Amino acid sequence: MRPAEALRGRQVLIVEDEYFLAEDLAAYFHGVGAHVVGPAGTVADALRLVESREVDAAVLDVNLRGQHVYSVADLLQKKAVPFVFASGYGGELEPAAYADVPRCIKPVDFPTLAAVLADRMKPGKH
Amino acid sequence: MSDRISRSSDAQDADFLRLIFESATDFAVFAQDKSGNVIRWNVGAQRLLGFTEAEILGRDGDVIFTPEDRAAGAPEQERVKASSTGRSENERWHQRKDGSRFWGSGILMPLRTGDGYVKIMRDRTAQHAAELELKESEARFRLLATSIPQLVFRSHWDGSRTWGSPQWEVYAGLSNLESQGFGWLEAVHPDDRELTLARWREAQSSGEYYVEHRIRRAADGEYRWHQTRAKPAGTTPADWVGTSADVHDMRSLQDRQQILLSELQHRTRNLLALVQAIARQTLKTSTSLAEFGRQFEHRLAAMSRVQGILARTNHGPVDLREIVAAELAAHGAADLAQVEGPTASLAPNAAQAIALALHELATNAVKYGALRQSSGKLAIGWHTRQSQNENRVVLQWRESGVSIPDAPGGKRKGYGTELIERALPYQLNAITSLEFTSDGVRCTVDLPLESPT
Repeated sequence: MRPAEALRGRQVLIVEDEYFLAEDLAAYFHGVGAHVVGPAGTVADALRLVESREVDAAVLDVNLRGQHVYSVADLLQKKAVPFVFASGYGGELEPAAYADVPRCIKPVDFPTLAAVLADRMKPGKH
Repeated sequence: MSDRISRSSDAQDADFLRLIFESATDFAVFAQDKSGNVIRWNVGAQRLLGFTEAEILGRDGDVIFTPEDRAAGAPEQERVKASSTGRSENERWHQRKDGSRFWGSGILMPLRTGDGYVKIMRDRTAQHAAELELKESEARFRLLATSIPQLVFRSHWDGSRTWGSPQWEVYAGLSNLESQGFGWLEAVHPDDRELTLARWREAQSSGEYYVEHRIRRAADGEYRWHQTRAKPAGTTPADWVGTSADVHDMRSLQDRQQILLSELQHRTRNLLALVQAIARQTLKTSTSLAEFGRQFEHRLAAMSRVQGILARTNHGPVDLREIVAAELAAHGAADLAQVEGPTASLAPNAAQAIALALHELATNAVKYGALRQSSGKLAIGWHTRQSQNENRVVLQWRESGVSIPDAPGGKRKGYGTELIERALPYQLNAITSLEFTSDGVRCTVDLPLESPT
């Protein structure tokens, strides 16, 4: 299955504090047929969206205005929602709890990111 | 045995003793009468002391003592002790016939007849030298072990400890007695104990012990990283000597360096992502490749300026005035604008976004507004305000005396407009307004100041 198909009609949460990057990501996911939730630029906004909206998958920037996104990641894990990190961090300092979460290093190639996320959404992957 | 001897004849006994006396050539055996004159002298005595039996018989046997010991009355003291206790054992320097000296270890016993003494002595010069050497080396080891900052220990091959230096006792707060055997493990971090012991097992084959583990500093209870090494270095291969060196600060520095490196990579990657986003935005609003090239280059230049400022402040807070001045200077407008405002510290990400916004405003003013027309005026001012529990700054860009023939149109709804109206509120929690009035551009950006940490 091509990533575009896996994401079609799915609710994809975008968490990214850089406006233009968030907008570009949203435009890309919209372009492949996904419904974009957000984008959220803060941990608080992201948590609110995860709690109040239906979310099938998520793209998380790790550092949001100096705050770590891990509380959002924890909530997603609890809800069994697949997600990937899109970050400038290489993962060297990442808590071990997220060792098996895929990571796309910025600057992110959107099709690659979508493919990683789609793979994550395969049944039994999460 | 004693039964058989008691049953043997006196003649047999005398013969038995004579044979021992004559054949014990490694031992000097001789007898003196009560005044010290030699009455018996064996071959061993001749070999050790240089006097033949003929030379010494009837003479004062005390000549084998050094003059110092004789002056101090040592021979007499030995005899007194032998008489009162039955024996006197002594180790001291003696003197041969030729004046050379040797370390003699001997025993003096009174004859049962009560009229003299017998002395049995042997040369232990070599052993004595070895013992002295060992003592000195031991003293040197102790001096070294107790004067270096490392914690020194001795242990058996399996890591069971026999001695810890005073530094160890103080550092770990465990006495030598408490550290004995595996008592020292008490000072090792519980999570590191298994590794610490496993390495001792491995050391058997490698012949060398090495581990990095945390040792508790008794003074403040802090577990600090140590490098512990040991090697077989005692008098037998089963004796090991080791040291533990505090490498905690070094490790912290390494960790910090790793964090700094990671932060640097993070910044670089984010910056590249931002450059990519700016390129995409510029591409969207450009009508030609030439226009794209010009605009993109100018925006990169603005990014580069603010990065330069951030590098100088080491990515700490930046004064708003510095950013305003840099943007005006870059547009040749350093003296054309009226700038007024107090010190206002911006966080690095805010400084970057505000610099890009100011760049868009200045570019627009140079192209169409106050920085193009001689009648135009530009005032840039700011003031701080308190809002709930945060400090904010309100930055105002005011152009006036500008005549814009066309009504403000859609063509200026480009990157700059989106940056100010959308990106700043999203990224910085800013409140913004942007108006293209007939008198010129008016822009207000109300954003949080760097919160002091």
